[in-house]
Amino acid sequence: MFETINIAKGVNVHVNETTQFKTINFSIKFKDKLTKEKASARSILANVLQHSNEVYPSHTALRMVLDDLYGTSLYIDSSKRGNEHVVTLNVETVNDQYLSEKGVLEKVLNLMYIVLFKPNFENGLFKESIFTREKHSIVQRIESVFDEKTRYAQQRMMELALPNHPASITSNGTIEIVESITNEQLVAEYNEMITQNEIEIYAVGDVKPEMIASYIREFFHFKDREKAIAVPPMELVKPEQSRVLEFEDMKQGKLHMAFFTPITFRDEKFPIMQLMNGVFGGYAHSKLFVNIREKESMAYYVSSSFASQFGLMFVLAGIDSKLEEKAVTLVLEQLEEVKKGNISDVELDQTKALLINQLKEALDSARGQIDIYDQYMELTDRFEPEYMINKWKNVTKEDIALVAKELSLEMTYFLSGKEDETNA
Amino acid sequence: MHKVEFEQLEETLFHEKLDNGLTVYILPKKGFSKTFATFTTKYGSIDNHFVPQGEKEPIKVPDGIAHFLEHKMFEKEEGDVFQEFSKQGASANAFTSFTRTAYLFSATGEIDKNVKTLLDFVQTPYFTEKTVEKEKGIIAQEITMYDDQPDWRLYFGIIENMYKNHPVKIDIAGTVESIQDITAEHLYTCYNTFYHPSNMVLFIVGNVDPEKMMALVKEDQAQKSFEEPTEITRIYPEEPKEVAIKERVLEMSVQKPKVFYGIKPEKLDLIGPDMLKHELAAQLAYELLFGRTSDFYHHAYENDWIDESYSFDYSLEQGFGYALVGSDTHKPEILIKEIKHTLQNAVEKWPFGQEDLDRVRRKKIGFFLRALNSPEYIANQFTNYAFNEMNLFDVVPVLEELEVVDLQNAFALVSHESQHSVFTIMPPKKGEQ
Repeated sequence: MFETINIAKGVNVHVNETTQFKTINFSIKFKDKLTKEKASARSILANVLQHSNEVYPSHTALRMVLDDLYGTSLYIDSSKRGNEHVVTLNVETVNDQYLSEKGVLEKVLNLMYIVLFKPNFENGLFKESIFTREKHSIVQRIESVFDEKTRYAQQRMMELALPNHPASITSNGTIEIVESITNEQLVAEYNEMITQNEIEIYAVGDVKPEMIASYIREFFHFKDREKAIAVPPMELVKPEQSRVLEFEDMKQGKLHMAFFTPITFRDEKFPIMQLMNGVFGGYAHSKLFVNIREKESMAYYVSSSFASQFGLMFVLAGIDSKLEEKAVTLVLEQLEEVKKGNISDVELDQTKALLINQLKEALDSARGQIDIYDQYMELTDRFEPEYMINKWKNVTKEDIALVAKELSLEMTYFLSGKEDETNA
Repeated sequence: MHKVEFEQLEETLFHEKLDNGLTVYILPKKGFSKTFATFTTKYGSIDNHFVPQGEKEPIKVPDGIAHFLEHKMFEKEEGDVFQEFSKQGASANAFTSFTRTAYLFSATGEIDKNVKTLLDFVQTPYFTEKTVEKEKGIIAQEITMYDDQPDWRLYFGIIENMYKNHPVKIDIAGTVESIQDITAEHLYTCYNTFYHPSNMVLFIVGNVDPEKMMALVKEDQAQKSFEEPTEITRIYPEEPKEVAIKERVLEMSVQKPKVFYGIKPEKLDLIGPDMLKHELAAQLAYELLFGRTSDFYHHAYENDWIDESYSFDYSLEQGFGYALVGSDTHKPEILIKEIKHTLQNAVEKWPFGQEDLDRVRRKKIGFFLRALNSPEYIANQFTNYAFNEMNLFDVVPVLEELEVVDLQNAFALVSHESQHSVFTIMPPKKGEQ
């Protein structure tokens, strides 16, 4: 799929030369360790760099040049995976064979260079008004989570269950730290990102790997950097409380449950755990969906998900606030069924078929290819769908029952809309 | 079978209208592993007043019925259709909008079987009082979930403000109360009226052989018997030009106010090429006025009147449409005033010339070409356009022909003050909770 070219120590270019898409996609990923401080600073940094630069000194000027390049999309996001914080420059541009104008690709590569290497500095610091505005933008982004109650409930549960653990650190950091960061600190963070972070550069589209690699080698001047020593996942610590009830003025109750599992992405039982999650609550044929939604008519959404980086499994359901206890009982009953190995051949085959379908489908988008390749790089340097498909194929019901038995329910969090019905 | 080549886009579209009236489109996509198919009826939440198939008198049906029917199509005497799709490695889904109900799947294998399943389940209604009753709990939770989503409430709030009579103002899923009145008989009435093949479009895009696929669909349809196609009589009320409500505020559990400024277009009877030209021209006009390179955006963002939630949109259907501009904001009054000013100034003196048009046109062409990477976008958007007698692949040529005056004319239709409305969601006042 991807051809990898090393251009400096700790800096790789991966290119998938394909005519599948009408566009060319780029991602440049800067990887650092995940802490609240790093996440806070790097989120501001991502926004400041995407706002403007030395050559296009206002937001409007930068956006106008992007419009002129046939609406080339360019954004920098701040995300996390496991113990890593990742700042990604994402660019998508139209393959100019579909246009009357040529030479768009070189202009876009040059613009990427400008965005990363020619920041909008004033006396060695980021331009103060932009720095202040973008700090405020990140604060607003963090605050806005409250408005989406499912996301808010999940975040509350994680903060309560695993405080200071990478699993609960959000990719944007915290309001307090964002507000406290100085312009000098941000410049230092920028320099560290450019010179010391591990960098993975992806390109997908009708482009030659050697052309992309030599362009980046020639113009981007990424220097050698030490490869970070892989930090083992931080251990999960048992939460102090096992059940938390909170209230907001809303109509539906949000049930969130967190389970620990010793199995993570790096574990050889990872594929089994993926299947376990699928059979239990991953799909419309799963036990949770069939029993809690279809049989009991209690919920519109009810599902489980496996956070493989941390060894966590979550169950989420939107239910009537009076029915928390009943819902928890039903969820645990279904988990019991999986533990006993009461899984039909059909359930197992359906889950395998959908996992395979999902993986293959994801590879039909350029972003999907980049994300999956970047994730599996840790396990195999030549990722193909068969790598996972072959592992899923051999999994049996007994295997699934065994991994289900290793799950432990550690927290039940309920965000309820109706305060008068309990005395909490 | 007809074959249309879009040379510049390197796409070839195959299509045919079958004997029973069903329109089938097939777009092969090289290099893709997946196939995406949508089976869509031109029937949505706004079709609540109509003459049932085989009858003479119009009836009104409970709010939320098109969406309810969509849910119930998945349940059959022998079980749940999701189970069958899962067995065949397909992810299935459905959605109901104001004007359409679409059933869809995506899969990377067993495409023939999955297409058969899609056709069979949508063309075999099975409703009983028991299964209808059971669904009410599930849909009530769906409605409650949306009730708690401020962005959804904001969107519906502004539409309710803009429309006095048109059923677009009714929430697509109805209310917890309105769905209680729905019966199996209602569902059959709606089904028989709107699910005739002549009111439907099948769109298949992906890794398929067009000849073989068309033969498969034809054979399947030939084996099923349908009534003769008849014209459907849908009744929509008179809608005044001006908005129903100028201003409204809702309190919800949010951290800061949310504002939508809505503008109701004046000409709502467009269809076909006229509609496409007007919609694209209006979208470009709004891009110039409120897009990320506009003076408005620059000032609003730098002054902190808007944040990353900022959005604007222009959308047109037969009988209704809207332009929306809005954001989360600590300064709702200033933001509203500035949007109003921006519109007024453009009415008084049109500020844009050829260079501006060229720039946003390039942006829009780029956006369109990017979207063509997505089989989902192609199938959904093509079907939506087809129901409005437009062709998705005409977008680039129509964009290329637009002139500055077209943008001005399109904008003039949505610029009168009486067509403007504001909806605001406010956090609870301090001390109340």
